[in-house]
Amino acid sequence: MIEFAIFFFFAAIAVIFALVVILHRNPVVGALSLVASFFALAVMYVLLDAPFLAALQVIVYAGAIMVLFLFVIMLLNLQHGSEPATRPVQQFLGYAGSAFFGLALVYYLVKYTVLQLPPGPFLSDARAIGVTLFEAYIFPFEMVSILLLAAIVGALLLSGRGARPEVAR
Amino acid sequence: MIPTSWFLILSAILFTIGVCGFLTRKNGITMFMCVELMVNAVNLTFLAYARQFHQLHGLIFVFFVMAIAAAEAAVGLAIFISLFHHRETIDVDEANLMRW
Amino acid sequence: MTFDRVDVVLEIVKIAVVVGLLLNVVPIMVWVERRGSALIQDRLGPNRVGPFGLIQSMADALKFILKEDVIPLQAHKWLYTLAPMFGLIPALTTIAVVPWGRPFFIPTEIVYGPRVSGVCLIGAAVLAILAIALGGATAKYHRKPNYSKLNFTIGVIVAVSLFLGALALIGVMLGIKTAGAVHLPGGGRLFEPIIADLNVGILLIFALASLGVYGIVTAGWSSANKFSLFGGIRASAQMISYELSLALAAVSALMVAGSLRLTDIVGRQTGYFVLFDTVKIPAWNCFSPAMWLSMIVFIVSAFAETNRLPFDFAEAEAELVAGYHTEYSSMKFAMFFMSEYIAMTTMSALVVTLFFGGWDVPWYNEPPTVTGFLLSAISFLAKVGFLLFVFVWVRWTIPRLKYDILMKIGWKVFLPLAVANIVLVAWFIAMRWI
Repeated sequence: MIEFAIFFFFAAIAVIFALVVILHRNPVVGALSLVASFFALAVMYVLLDAPFLAALQVIVYAGAIMVLFLFVIMLLNLQHGSEPATRPVQQFLGYAGSAFFGLALVYYLVKYTVLQLPPGPFLSDARAIGVTLFEAYIFPFEMVSILLLAAIVGALLLSGRGARPEVAR
Repeated sequence: MIPTSWFLILSAILFTIGVCGFLTRKNGITMFMCVELMVNAVNLTFLAYARQFHQLHGLIFVFFVMAIAAAEAAVGLAIFISLFHHRETIDVDEANLMRW
Repeated sequence: MTFDRVDVVLEIVKIAVVVGLLLNVVPIMVWVERRGSALIQDRLGPNRVGPFGLIQSMADALKFILKEDVIPLQAHKWLYTLAPMFGLIPALTTIAVVPWGRPFFIPTEIVYGPRVSGVCLIGAAVLAILAIALGGATAKYHRKPNYSKLNFTIGVIVAVSLFLGALALIGVMLGIKTAGAVHLPGGGRLFEPIIADLNVGILLIFALASLGVYGIVTAGWSSANKFSLFGGIRASAQMISYELSLALAAVSALMVAGSLRLTDIVGRQTGYFVLFDTVKIPAWNCFSPAMWLSMIVFIVSAFAETNRLPFDFAEAEAELVAGYHTEYSSMKFAMFFMSEYIAMTTMSALVVTLFFGGWDVPWYNEPPTVTGFLLSAISFLAKVGFLLFVFVWVRWTIPRLKYDILMKIGWKVFLPLAVANIVLVAWFIAMRWI
């Protein structure tokens, strides 16, 4: 089955590149790996009958947010600065705790989710999404637009000249 | 058709990787990327359940999550730039002025 | 969705045709660019290799392949090698959702007749004439005292392959004649000249186009060179800014068609409307007054998005040496070149699809047959070719802007204009004028 092959291939890509993000020391490599991981997730969205959101995923995450990340990493010239090592205890606790958490999550998912998919295709084209968005969710939609405006103003204020400390002359 | 639980397991694995990175790394921007990874894992869950129950609401939620992630990235990165201007580092342990 | 072996073969044929054409656009466009710039600046341009210097690009390509591949010592080796591919892959894949001809029903069998023999003989004659002209030019070139063996060999190879193509066409004709009628395996089914007819086609284009920035940014960063880094950062800021106005300008065309599918957008533009009861005007979007603003915004943003002059700040020679590909050499450099020209072609195809009626032949209702398909495909190629020439034309006539002016135009002029145009189109639709 070609669908399963695609699923496993891109699932492997998503997981491997996500691991690169947390294990590689160079943040530029990390950001690019995260883009690859997000792209693989977009493929998952296509497999889940949501091509519209897959396209949005690539446009918003890969096309805008991660470019912003790369931009900031390059501007701050972070790739040369060596990251101080985390304390071994802290590191061990982090790995062990998250591994335990993940294993528990996967265990319960395997054990308790027996879901039978309903028959028929899942219609989620742009029209259906638009109708739902502008009828049932019109108020949250407007709130999100205000939130985005606030974010723009906040980002400008934080990174603008006014926020810089006065350099001692 | 691929069973929903497979997507949920993938999502759980990605979320765990995000948590792990957030706990073990000190570079602020890498931690931020781990948060994005966790958010994306949750998006995958939303979509998997949306297909499971043939409901569009999950898709709408993913849409909102994306918008909020964009806002969060803009503000968060501005904070890191600001932090870098003050401290010349984005190591999160250095930003300890408000620590008790 | 079910598909059988014939569908797979047809799909592979489509991909082969489109990718083959796209890759061949690159040498042709390099030639057009060099000769066109010479024409505009009143020079001769390359005219040594082959007739009118047509084979010059092949010599260039061979040179690129044979050059030494240098990787700077300080460069991040992996990303430095991957960056050209990051640039090329989105450029090559974007074209998949653009329709390039009228869908037609594949005939069940080909019967030998005057039409088949006519097409084959004319094609063979054209190829043979080209082969003879090229062969003659190459032979003349051979007699010159300082001829280069490489150019001579290329000329001979191309002439011989053209001649073989003519022979093959005659062979096909004779084969059909002896068989009488050839039964086609995929007969009767609809052939859609588009690789992937997605219902989110235009979004996929913007998604892949937004990935194109990674090639440039990665190249700029991994070269470990200040000029490269500046080029990469400039390019990323510019491409993000102009992507917005590009997408918003496309929205008005989408609103009129009421669909994100590119075949629907083209389908809406076939046919014509009658002005003053006398003049028939094709129903292309570029002829409707509501679209003019968005068309201008879209075309100018397309220039910025493909990093072409007057917006080529990523590689502004006078300021940044060569921008993001300063450190690149050999085939990697050629790949950046290829991705630039392929992205240009895709953008032209997109402009044609959104505003110039796609494959529609004006004042002609294409029948769903092979003839209709060929006419519409030729019309599409002609429109794309014209727009590509416009790209070259603009490059050699308009000087480069200043970077702050570019950003100012993008955010303070084009973005509001694109949004205003959406309102205008919405008003037109509400009043039922479109």
